Amino acid sequence: MLRGQMAEAADDAGNFEGIIDSNVSLFHWPFRRLPLDKTEKLVAKLRSLGVTKALAGSFEGVFHRDLASANARLADECARYPELTPIGSVSPSLPGWERDLDRCASKWRMPGIRLHPSQQGYALDSTLFSRLLARAAEAGVFVQLAVTLEDVRTQPALVVKPDVDLAPLADAMAKAPAAKVQLLNLRPRGSELKSLATIPNLYFDTARADGTDGVASLLAVAGPERVVFGSHAPFLIPEAALIRVHESALDPNSLRTLLRGNAEGLLS
Amino acid sequence: MNLAEFTWGLPPREKLESYRIWDSYFTPSLGHPGKDGFSGIIDDMERARRAVELGRFEKLCFFPHVGIGTTTDADFETLVRMKPELVLKPIEHWPDRMLGMIQINANDTQASLDALDQWLRDGPMLGVYFAGSGPGALPCSHPNIPPLVERISELKGVIMQHTWFVTGGNPGQGMSTPTELAELASRFPDQMFICAHAGGEWEKGIRAVSDSPNVLIETSGFDATAGFIEMAVRELGPERIIFGSHLPTRSLGTELSKVTTAEIGEDAKQKILGENYRRLLGMA
Repeated sequence: MLRGQMAEAADDAGNFEGIIDSNVSLFHWPFRRLPLDKTEKLVAKLRSLGVTKALAGSFEGVFHRDLASANARLADECARYPELTPIGSVSPSLPGWERDLDRCASKWRMPGIRLHPSQQGYALDSTLFSRLLARAAEAGVFVQLAVTLEDVRTQPALVVKPDVDLAPLADAMAKAPAAKVQLLNLRPRGSELKSLATIPNLYFDTARADGTDGVASLLAVAGPERVVFGSHAPFLIPEAALIRVHESALDPNSLRTLLRGNAEGLLS
Repeated sequence: MNLAEFTWGLPPREKLESYRIWDSYFTPSLGHPGKDGFSGIIDDMERARRAVELGRFEKLCFFPHVGIGTTTDADFETLVRMKPELVLKPIEHWPDRMLGMIQINANDTQASLDALDQWLRDGPMLGVYFAGSGPGALPCSHPNIPPLVERISELKGVIMQHTWFVTGGNPGQGMSTPTELAELASRFPDQMFICAHAGGEWEKGIRAVSDSPNVLIETSGFDATAGFIEMAVRELGPERIIFGSHLPTRSLGTELSKVTTAEIGEDAKQKILGENYRRLLGMA
């Protein structure tokens, strides 16, 4: 039973301090109302599941162009809940993106920023992207890169966006070797995952690691030290990601690092 | 933090057992059962065992190939025609749990009609699966489909039709949409159809079948997008929704959580997770 697994993980760790969810978003998804799209309700749900910290981006940060305003609202909202750590959005396709990044790092003390290349119209082989990685590393913030927000097959016709092409990522990260990058919402697949797993300082989340043994397979290929629990709530049902961890029958050490330790490493 | 209080997103075991979960869409080695006719399915059943036990599933329905050209492997097709008993190996492996519905080759209606007699009329299969891809797949708007439906109806079989509305990416040949299924269903008002995956893009899929009382939707096959079951219950009623797991290629987490966490009544969950399917199969 997972309860048993968790008890073992806690014993190994001494005092288990709860789960860190590296992938949640606040405010309204523009194409449907989500059952947990009110922050209070989302936080209550996360608490009920044992999540004590959540790295929160914002749907506004995907679709708005005034990202300073969106990030300010995100910071204000997160300040109301001790569990929430704001992760601001930055887009190198927008003039003045450096100012957005600096505000995230300095003004709001955000530990990371979130990118949405597909929705915001740039590719990973652009010079701007590698410059952003370097600047993020200088500022001491990690970078979360949303590979997608939704399966391309089910997206609203208004905004059908393919997954981000990750082929140029290795070269871009080689130009900014101090940058730490976490891929969000990747559907891990065979040869692509094997290739990505060779990139230093690259981390993964669990939000779309589907299949009954999907999380275990991801850990086996990427390495247990590089997979960070993430649910993509409230767009996806947060229990889905948690039950998948349970299904994967991980050993206590892997469970502990997946659910908390690796996120702490990313945040440090 | 008191770890003994952790629930990890699953209802308590007693609650899961009370749901009496029947999985209408179990897909071990769905595309090919293995060179020997069965071992790929058995391997995938074992791969899914932990999830099946965690979910406290009572029954699972799989979709065997029966040697009528639904795979591209000529050797397998010949083998299973010569040894039809191989089709039953998965049922023998989990005799108290497994149900079956045969895969139909819509491109070979005569072979399919013969298979209906062999496997539905004479048992033990309970219905048919119309796939969305592979050599046996055709859109359900194709003229080959109605004669098959007529015979399935005579045999009182259940029809599981794979459906998708593909908004991005490439829809495969042979794919059917919920709109096409609703049109087909209107011609056979006494036959019940299951709209597998609710069309994937479920907001459109639910709308497409909402005026078709003989069409039920199946819940698996797409990410655990929040709000699906709530909309389905609101628009169709809980009696027209059937749980599927798509294990092992999908997960217990993705598929079961759609229903167990939905903001609907416990009575509705009971219906979706097993009661509706049992009623459809005449096994209530």
